[in-house]
Parts: sequence; structure tokens; C-alpha cells
Amino acid sequence: MRLVRRETPLKGGQVRAFAAGVVIALVLGAILLVSTGHNPAEVYAKMLDASLGSPRGWSATLTRAVPLGLAGLAVAVAGSMGLWNIGAEGQLIAGAIGAAWVARFGGDWNGFVLITAMLLGAVVGGALIALGPALARARLGVNEIITTLMLNEVAIRVVRYLVNGPWKDPEGNNFPVAPELPPQSALPGFFERANIGVLIAAAVIGAVGFYSARSAWGYELKIAGSSAKAAEYVGISLKAKILTVLVLSGAIAGLAGGIELTGSSTRLVEGVGGGFGFAGIIVAALALMRPSGVAAVAVAFGAVQIGGGAIQTLGVPASIAGILQALILFGALGAAVLTNYRVVVK
Amino acid sequence: MNAVTPRSSAKRIMRSKLVMILAALSLVAAACGGSDETETKAAFVMVAPVGDAGWNFMHDLGRQGAEEATGAETAFVEAIPEGGTEFDNSVQQFIDDGFNVIFATSFGYMDATEKFAADNPDVDFVHISGFKKNDTNFSNAFGRMYQPRYIAGMAAGAETESGIIGYVAAFPIPEVIRGINAFTLGVQATNPDAVVEVVWTSTWFDPGVEGNAAQALLDKGADVLTMHQDSTATGQAATDAGATFLGYHSDMSEQVGNYLTAPVWNWTDYYTSVIESVQNDSFTPEAYWGSMADGVVDIEIPDSSPVAGDMKAIKDAIINGDFDVFDGALFAQDGTQITDNDGKLLVDLADPFGNPIGAVGDEMNDGILLGMGFFVQGVVGSVEG
Repeated sequence: MRLVRRETPLKGGQVRAFAAGVVIALVLGAILLVSTGHNPAEVYAKMLDASLGSPRGWSATLTRAVPLGLAGLAVAVAGSMGLWNIGAEGQLIAGAIGAAWVARFGGDWNGFVLITAMLLGAVVGGALIALGPALARARLGVNEIITTLMLNEVAIRVVRYLVNGPWKDPEGNNFPVAPELPPQSALPGFFERANIGVLIAAAVIGAVGFYSARSAWGYELKIAGSSAKAAEYVGISLKAKILTVLVLSGAIAGLAGGIELTGSSTRLVEGVGGGFGFAGIIVAALALMRPSGVAAVAVAFGAVQIGGGAIQTLGVPASIAGILQALILFGALGAAVLTNYRVVVK
Repeated sequence: MNAVTPRSSAKRIMRSKLVMILAALSLVAAACGGSDETETKAAFVMVAPVGDAGWNFMHDLGRQGAEEATGAETAFVEAIPEGGTEFDNSVQQFIDDGFNVIFATSFGYMDATEKFAADNPDVDFVHISGFKKNDTNFSNAFGRMYQPRYIAGMAAGAETESGIIGYVAAFPIPEVIRGINAFTLGVQATNPDAVVEVVWTSTWFDPGVEGNAAQALLDKGADVLTMHQDSTATGQAATDAGATFLGYHSDMSEQVGNYLTAPVWNWTDYYTSVIESVQNDSFTPEAYWGSMADGVVDIEIPDSSPVAGDMKAIKDAIINGDFDVFDGALFAQDGTQITDNDGKLLVDLADPFGNPIGAVGDEMNDGILLGMGFFVQGVVGSVEG
């Protein structure tokens, strides 16, 4: 049995393959649930209800989709020209650090100014940490997979250093946390539990998705991604493209960190990255590296995560809930593969 | 909203199908459910899987014990990270499902719990290991683990032949520092020449890192090890090297060969009392720092220890209030005397940021213990982490 690349992607097959993949996953999940003594109907109803069954569920799902979507967009933007940004996690953390840094001296500013400045700080933080790998790749040809991956570890350690050292909360009983953010730095609410981070992310994902699908810039990215020689032949500057795309990618992931900090946190802590940067790689892969596909995938992924988290309240252990989420993602990823490849049995 | 709404018709069809399935399933769910509004339901949020030995395991045992004692329905979620939206989602889900007392059992849940308490006046909240509370529906709770730590130190001091006891520690926060100091004072009570070597792992649960740290201490000549994490890795390393192990959190005799004893948690009584107070509408917020007298912290005295009699006597004295671990003359790591024989401060104490926590003449008090940022004499290592 082997995989053969389809000459053209399965027409209209994406939705069918996706549905098939998810159904297979749900059936396997049901077997798992029954064998561990849970009622699959009850569990799946809870998953759906908690994630998409009410405005409150939607608010949780969309809130989760924000960091997933922005991190996914960061990976997909780079991926659309064949670059692998594995450092979205680190860029997200750098963004949160940038935003937290602004908050350290903006405590007296009014909310609008402070939030705007914090999000700008986040964008700059993410862009800055991506600048190194971008320059190294553009100028020296250093593999960006390695450099972006390694910088995740650096970012994790920097935030650990900050909350254990110079930024440790003087009121925090020596616990490794930064001081509480000024109350006016919290993103205003949107609906139910969601804040306007959802709107900001939607605007950014929509704009970048539209621009990369419709503009000459996006077209040049695609050419550069499919053939470097062809790109240079038609006069596209690869170095400039690599630089701008990786820095843009970092800035987008950084924004995710800023929205997480201002929208979902009360202070900078070590776990601020939340693994969203890594999950962004899955989001981008499921969106077939197309920035325009990221939003839908992020919402679906968010729903799976929110639903998967909620079923614990029915007594399903975290490990089983995790396996269930992984099964659904795996089914969907498999479907994404099958739209571009077909299985040949010999 | 528009940018995140699926656009293609196929997706729209999928969504409408999804809605139909949802409708059908929620009917089923409604038929199965149906709960009494006034009934007390207690929910627990845990930072890691409850597992079979550590911090979360003991909270889960407390949950089960309280459920049995009160008849209240309980539920828990595990592996909920600190500082993200997952905690919020879980707690909101519990509240929506009619749970009216929420136990948040990890330090990093503190700010979020405070917000939930403000937004949900009809629900009571208890946060474990933090320092925030309010006047209506939000308590914090912890245990004086330093008391059994001292007794564990007595056993360790009697056990060591090399005079080096290894302490694999998590993070240099007051709780951990206080435990190391109490343990060291206990060691000195039975073996004045022994030292306690500290290695920081910056982990709460990472068997690989913790096992390596334990090995480093064994390589330095330690023949007794203890730890402040959730894994049994230090115990495994000690057993493999033929050293003695004192645990933490729970009785680890099942998991670790050379296990001697451990300071342990027992949350059942406290959780029972909180749930009962919710049941009869008498929940009163408090900052609860439970002691061995309450039983929230405890230690089993190993008969095999040559100092079992002394340990028993100290345990009784602590429970009766006749002995306090940090009473009497205390010396800092560098030999500076910190308190006189009456437990009065001889120096001004500040936390690591220069905020005063005690002045000359003050008696040793909970405020100083809660902000403890210095090591006592006999500890080898740095509070800098």
C-alpha cells in the first residue's frame, strides 16, 4: 500500500474526506469511550453543547480559535512560500513579553492607549524574535526550521527568567509570577465570555488571507515557494521575500501572545505560550498551508479543544479526553492528506 | 464574526447537519439529566492528572472522602493549565452545570478564581495555596506542611551515615524554602553535624529532570534523599543507589523500595467541613492554614527509625501546641542569628524585594513564614534557584 500524489486535488473531496475522517475518528472514539465505561452519546452531546451549542459555548470556542488561528496563520504565511516557521510558540511568548513590558510603564494610561500599545509591543516582540532566523535564512541560507525551533526554548527560558527575577511580583509572596496587569489593560468584552480579541484576530486573518490569495505579493510568494529559480527568473527578490515573510509570520504569532495576555490572562506567567504556537502548525497543515483556510480550521480545532475539555466534567479522565481530541485531529489531518494523495493498494 | 464563519455551501450544509445532530443529542442529554437546583455540588480543578501519588492525587482522595462524608455530588477536571482560558472554561462549565462550590487546587488559579468569585456571588470558591480571598464567597486554604517536614528531618538525620542529605526541590518559593528549613531543623535535632544539600529542578513533575537531580546529590555522597515534587523519580534514584528515601504528599511505600516515611496531605476533613458549610448556607470566607492538629498535614512515624520515640514526642507536642518548628533561636545560612531564644527577631527581615516582613523585636509569625526567603544554617545551596 502506498500514497500516490493526485494530479489535481480531489475536487470537492476535501469536505467529504474531512467528514469521513472525523466520522471514523468518532467511531473509534466511541469504542474507546464504551470500553472505558462512558456513554458516547452523552459525551459527544456534551462536546457539541459546550463548544457550539450555545452563545457561551461559541464564545469559548472563538476565544480558543484566536491564538490557534493567529499561530496557524503565522505558520501558513511562511508555509505558503515553502518556509517552515516552527517557532510560533516562541514568537507568541515574545509577543506576550513585549505586551507585558509595555504594561510595566503604562499603568496610568487609559485603556485604549494601553491596549493598543501592548498589542503593538506584542507585534514588535514577535517580529524581533523572528528577525534572527529571517536574516540567517535570507543572508546565509541557514535552515529556518532549526533556528525557529531553537528560539522556542530561548523564549521559554527568557519568560522564566523574567518572572523569577527582574519582573517577579513584589506582592506575590516570592512566587514566580509577574505583577498583575493594570485592570484597564483587559480587552473589552465582545459577547458572553469572548472579548474583542476575536474581532482583531478575525480582521487580521481575513486581511492576510485575502491579501495573500488575491494580491501580486501573495502570488509571488506562491511562485517563490514552488520554484526559487522561476521566482528569480521573473525578478522576485527571494531574500527580501524571505525576510518580510518570516518577520510578518513572527509578528502575527506575537500578536496572538499579546491578545492572550490582554484578553485571557491577568499577569505574565511561565506557561503563557499555552502550546498554541505548536498547535498552530497543525492548524496550518489542516488548512493545507493556505492563509485563507486558517479561520475555519481554527474554529473547528477550537471547538474540538473546548468540547474535549468540557467532557471531563462528566467524569471522563483528561487522558481519554486527550486521546479523543487527538483522534479527531488525526482523522481530519488524514483527510487533508487524502485530498492530495490517493491510496494505491498493490 | 463574518471572517470566521464557514462560507462554502458544502460547509453550510455540514453546519446545519451539525445543528440537527446537536438538537437530537441535547434532547437525549436533557432526558438523562435534570438536577435539583438547591442540591450542593462540589467541583475540583486539578493542575495535573490525579495519578497515584502526588499533590493532585491527595486532593482527589480528599474529594472522594468529602463526597462520602457529605453525600454531596462531586466532580473534577484534571490537567488544567495555569494562566490560560482552560481554567475559565472548566469553571464556567461547572457553574453552568449547577455546581455551587468550586475548589481550585493550584497556585496559578488564584487571580482567575478571584474574578469568578466576584462574578458569581451564588457560588462559593476555595483556592488552595494562594493568598487572596474576599468577604463573601472566596476562601484560601493551605497546610502547615513544615510541621511534618520537621519530623521527617528528624528521621533523616538519624538515618544518614555520610552526613549529607539530598533535597530535590522544585522552585525557590516560600512554601518550598519553608519546607527545606523545617526539614533541616529536624535533621539538626537528631544529627547536628549533618547538612542538607539542595538542588533546584524548576519542575513540579518531570521524572527525568528530578531523577537526574537526585543522582547528582547521590554522586556528592548523599545517602538519604527527600524531595518536593509530584513524581517518585527521586525515590527511584535513591532506591537504585541503596540510599534511603523520604517522600512527600502521600505514602509512597507502594511505589518506592527504600521508602522510610513522608509528610502527607489529608484534605478530607477540610473539604468535608467546607461542603457542609455550603450545604447549611454558612460558608464563611477564611484564610485557612491548617496544622497537624487539624490533620490536614500529617506524617507516619516509622517504627524502624532509631528516633521513633522522639519523633512521636515532637508530633504530640506540635499537635498540643507545646512545640513550634520555628520557635527559639534561628540562625541563617551564613551564621547570622535571626531570632533569640524567645523567638524574637534580632535582625530586620525583608523579602527578596526589600519589602519589610519583620523588624527587630517582632516575634516569629505567620507573615514571616509565608514570605520566607532565606535558608537556615545547615542548608547547602542558594535560595536564588
